[in-house]
Amino acid sequence: MAMTRVRALLAKELLDLSRNRLALLPVGFITILSLVLPFAIAVAIPMLTGQELGSDADLVKVSGVAVGHESLTPSARVQLFLFQQFLLLFLLTPITGAMALAAHAVIGEKQARTLEPLLATPVSTGELLVAKMLGALLPTLAISLAGLGLYLGGIVATAAPGVAPAMLSLRTAMLAIWVGPAAALVSLQSAIIISSRVNDARTAQQFGVLIIIPLAAVLVAQFTGALWLSSTMLALLGLGLVGVWVLLVLLSVAIFDRDSILTRWR
Amino acid sequence: MISAQHLTRRFAARAVVADVSFDVSKSEIVALLGPNGAGKTTTMRMLGGLIAPTSGSVVIDGVPLTRATAGTLRARIGFLTESPGLWDRLTVRENLRTYAALYGLSQPEHAVERAIDVLQLSPQASVRAAELSKGMRQKVALARALLHEPAVMLLDEPTSGLDPEITRGVRRLLEDRRAAGCAILVSTHNLDEAERLADRVAVLHQRLLAIDRPAALRRRLTTGRLIVRVTGDPVRSLETVRRFDPAAAVEGPALVLKVADAEERTPAIVAALVAAGACVVEVRPEMPALEDAYLRLMGRQAG
Repeated sequence: MAMTRVRALLAKELLDLSRNRLALLPVGFITILSLVLPFAIAVAIPMLTGQELGSDADLVKVSGVAVGHESLTPSARVQLFLFQQFLLLFLLTPITGAMALAAHAVIGEKQARTLEPLLATPVSTGELLVAKMLGALLPTLAISLAGLGLYLGGIVATAAPGVAPAMLSLRTAMLAIWVGPAAALVSLQSAIIISSRVNDARTAQQFGVLIIIPLAAVLVAQFTGALWLSSTMLALLGLGLVGVWVLLVLLSVAIFDRDSILTRWR
Repeated sequence: MISAQHLTRRFAARAVVADVSFDVSKSEIVALLGPNGAGKTTTMRMLGGLIAPTSGSVVIDGVPLTRATAGTLRARIGFLTESPGLWDRLTVRENLRTYAALYGLSQPEHAVERAIDVLQLSPQASVRAAELSKGMRQKVALARALLHEPAVMLLDEPTSGLDPEITRGVRRLLEDRRAAGCAILVSTHNLDEAERLADRVAVLHQRLLAIDRPAALRRRLTTGRLIVRVTGDPVRSLETVRRFDPAAAVEGPALVLKVADAEERTPAIVAALVAAGACVVEVRPEMPALEDAYLRLMGRQAG
């Protein structure tokens, strides 16, 4: 794989996106929502209603899954639990935000009639597909990480004593810089595969939405306390996701059928 | 430089290209003529390594085109696709820069500026592709195909929809590339263009119906008319020329004969007229247009 060609295509993708900023609106919107929602629930509402989070017995019980923070007050523990759960939204941000970009990656080039000249160059299928995936991932990941920075800054500024140090943990780092990007790699590479196998952008997006379902299931399981992933489990999960991504890259190259794309798609 | 041997491409049971063989040499332009759906674009794509032939083989610059060699060979080919296919939100220069990097050029900026200069695109270099006219888009696509100074050029309808001035510029450019040693295959509907530009013309309609120099193709496929003007009443010479064409006739002040090879037979006809006492003023072969030869081939195919 020639990195110069991947870089050239990636630069083109980013330049193109910089002139079509509306395409980044979904990721911006999700990031803002991910910032507003947790602070509204964990800080603003208890403050406005005067009802402490620790007064809700169910919440206190569920927050017990986050072990190792017994020194915190019940309210602080619930707040920590909520902030940890909402952290998962930042994992979904680059995926949901970039899904439309990734789903459009190949079919979009075909519909704009720019794919054939591109395939007439020495660019290999692997180089093309990796550049397309990175072109969708990097801008949305950058926005998502910036949002995450604001999120953690907000926690430091507004959370109950002891919550911020507990949040700035190995588990948070693992989620933010290891599992999140790895999950995004898998999802977006899957969307690229779909984009190279269907022959219109709407179908690609319909299938792309399905990729969110397993991730949403993990999110719901976390919220209900049914699933709590420790740092070790997260490390292994990230490793597994990277492995799956490598397999998906190989699969996407193997099933990318230049012949069909050029001759059967209209 | 380009060698296609028994190229066949099927889509399901339908053969779009069947058993097509031809070569294009260094410093040669071959025009691929044929109606819509004749298999021109499919042939181009097979030669450019974009799609695989069902059977047959392609050799580019001495290297057999296979799955393993396709990437390397594509670096030696300048391919102009049917549609310009520019990235609309990028400027002309940005489009070309991306391709220069994809071709792995050692001096991409120099190559881009040279291509802009050759195609006289400097005023449009910083304009986004979306804002260009159809003709300008086609010029940028040509600049893109020339960026890496390829030894082989495959051009699908290079002057389609262009105004005469740009068309002439494109023609000159291709002549320059031919002079530089490039092997060029041009697919076109335009018979006039094929005749002006090409060293040889290949007529394709699923199969290769003919390939030859335009003049030879005309001679081979049509009977030319010979117009002979003599002093006095031409009817007096009619008997003489009917030895060469029993259907010869008088049209206005001239004798009109149909002969298969006017160039070869003219001296004998003139000699016979002079021997018969006629005073020959003018002998003019009226060669049929390439269009006649083409239509005749298509007619045979349809028949």
